[in-house]
Amino acid sequence: MTRSVLEIKDLKKWFPVTAGLLGRVKGHVKAVDGVDLEIEEGETFGLVGESGSGKTTLGRCILRLIEPSYGKIMYRDQDITRLKGEAFRKIQRKFGIVFQDPYASLDPRQTIKSALIEPMKYHKIVQSEDQAAKKAEELIKRVGLNEDHLYRFPHEFSGGQRQRVAVARALTTDPEIIILDEPTSFLDVSVQAQILNLLSDLQEELDLTYLFISHNLSVIEHMSNRVGVMYLGKLMEAAPRDTIYRRPEHPYTHALISALPIPNPDLVRERVVLSGDIPSPVNIPSGCRFRTRCPYVKDLCAQEDPPLESRRVGHLVSCHFDLKLSSPIPILKT
Amino acid sequence: MKALDGVSFTVRKGEALGLVGESGCGKSVTALTIVGLLPENATVTEGEILLAGKNLLALKHDEMRKVRATEIAMVFQDPTTFLNPVLTIGEQLEEVFLLSPKHLASVASEKKEGSDNKAKSIKSLSKSQQKKTAKLLSIDVMKRVRLPDQERVLKEYPHELSGGMRQRCMIAMALARNPALFIADEITTALDVTIQAQILELLRELKREFQGSTLLITHDLGIVAELCDRVAVMYAGNIVELANVKELFANPLHPYTRGLIRAVPMLDKRKDRLETIQGSVPDLIYPPPGCRFHPRCPLAFEKCKRVKPELLNVGQGHTVACHLYEEGKS
Repeated sequence: MTRSVLEIKDLKKWFPVTAGLLGRVKGHVKAVDGVDLEIEEGETFGLVGESGSGKTTLGRCILRLIEPSYGKIMYRDQDITRLKGEAFRKIQRKFGIVFQDPYASLDPRQTIKSALIEPMKYHKIVQSEDQAAKKAEELIKRVGLNEDHLYRFPHEFSGGQRQRVAVARALTTDPEIIILDEPTSFLDVSVQAQILNLLSDLQEELDLTYLFISHNLSVIEHMSNRVGVMYLGKLMEAAPRDTIYRRPEHPYTHALISALPIPNPDLVRERVVLSGDIPSPVNIPSGCRFRTRCPYVKDLCAQEDPPLESRRVGHLVSCHFDLKLSSPIPILKT
Repeated sequence: MKALDGVSFTVRKGEALGLVGESGCGKSVTALTIVGLLPENATVTEGEILLAGKNLLALKHDEMRKVRATEIAMVFQDPTTFLNPVLTIGEQLEEVFLLSPKHLASVASEKKEGSDNKAKSIKSLSKSQQKKTAKLLSIDVMKRVRLPDQERVLKEYPHELSGGMRQRCMIAMALARNPALFIADEITTALDVTIQAQILELLRELKREFQGSTLLITHDLGIVAELCDRVAVMYAGNIVELANVKELFANPLHPYTRGLIRAVPMLDKRKDRLETIQGSVPDLIYPPPGCRFHPRCPLAFEKCKRVKPELLNVGQGHTVACHLYEEGKS
């Protein structure tokens, strides 16, 4: 069996909503509301969800860029949720992160070289300036740019090149796990393909484990081994990629995949259109949080929150019923 | 900067034409030129835009305003920037009808006297009658775009509605006057997948009822495949290929179109590796000479660097601007 490198247990992040002068707490935004997740060595785990589903907050909680309110984060069986100072710094370097917006994640007044060397020094990865410079050169080449680019500033790069720099920066500490938070959603499709291929190559060369966060179902499908679907702060379903896309068992996953337009005019399929909007994470519906939009809702759904249960090996579903859903992607006759 | 460089296409009556391309290819500029809403520093140096034979570029400011009010309607990506935040949805939607009292009067007399009395002289309406009729028409059009709770929504301000509802309001305003041309510019891009599905389903339903033509601008090939009859692919201010939607996906000819289709991960066909188009979209202040795609084209040859290819008909209404297909013709 493969080992899990990262395990998340019942993770919650509630942001208080305050009112009035005295900052009285009148409620919470339950951005992440009890997520269990295990990521295995060398895999890409795709985390997909609509806006407000909590996928980004979850990613940031893992790195503790946002401190979780409750739950545990385990890195190779070591609880890192409460680690501090030097001990945490040692673990931190095992993680890298690439953010969505390459225009915001790089300091405009810092050369690429200095942006790459900074984390190396902070984490004491390198002993000398020379070594740092050498490593920066190696990294910039690895992401498909060249040494000249080291002496430039972010504004001199296109969006795709900036994202390459951001990837290089995520690699500076020789991490094992990289959290990719919508790494291509700012890019055009032709450039997106370049970055996705680069990420696949790097994973193979450097034995990286990815947590790939995106709202784009086709990108997640292309990149992931396993996929988790989030809705209003909770995992609705998690399974190997093909199971999620061809035989989903949660009505939300089913609707989500059937909602996606597929670039094939010959494809005839029935679309499940969910009514209404995503409820506010301040006022999460009682029982199953998806019930207000679920086409199969029954009385039980309002009363009890279904746990995320294993239906088959590796297939977790959070639904009271075993709905026999059709495949959301028709098989093409060729 | 030359944002558009010799763009020609026709939207036929009743059809939906898709305009696809990556950011900066000129799709939105094309739309803004059609509706005459280009920013002040932009000028149209050459060409014509004909709406049922009438050249829109020759119209005066006021005449163009009238065209926008009645014949062409446009919906944009972000409804929040086009809805007035201090007016209710009702005030904004009713205004569309209040702009033409004659139309209101004829509707009112039809409603009152039944269809057999149409020939009777149409009395002009008082202000309050006008308002009343405008409200009725607003509710009608809101029903058409499947907005629930019409009475309540009419009284609400844009910020009280969700993104999907706001976009429905925009579509309602656009369709209110049965325009001859409906331009939809990336109208689902800012929405979540499940909300996008609702709007796409709405557009599909409206397509059956709607008599006018649609120009659908998007970067999403999936939306094109679902909603369009024909597709024009744009690159760096040029149309590089135009064909029937099935033909385009089955038989893309331009290297850019091929690259674009192959670069997208597709749910129905697994690819181990995505094909990429090298480089990125050129700077339109200094566009490459010859074919604007040649620096990124895997099949470029000498001529591509010098001569700009013209759109060439390769049969069945499929046109492509690429030197590769010239020999085949002669």
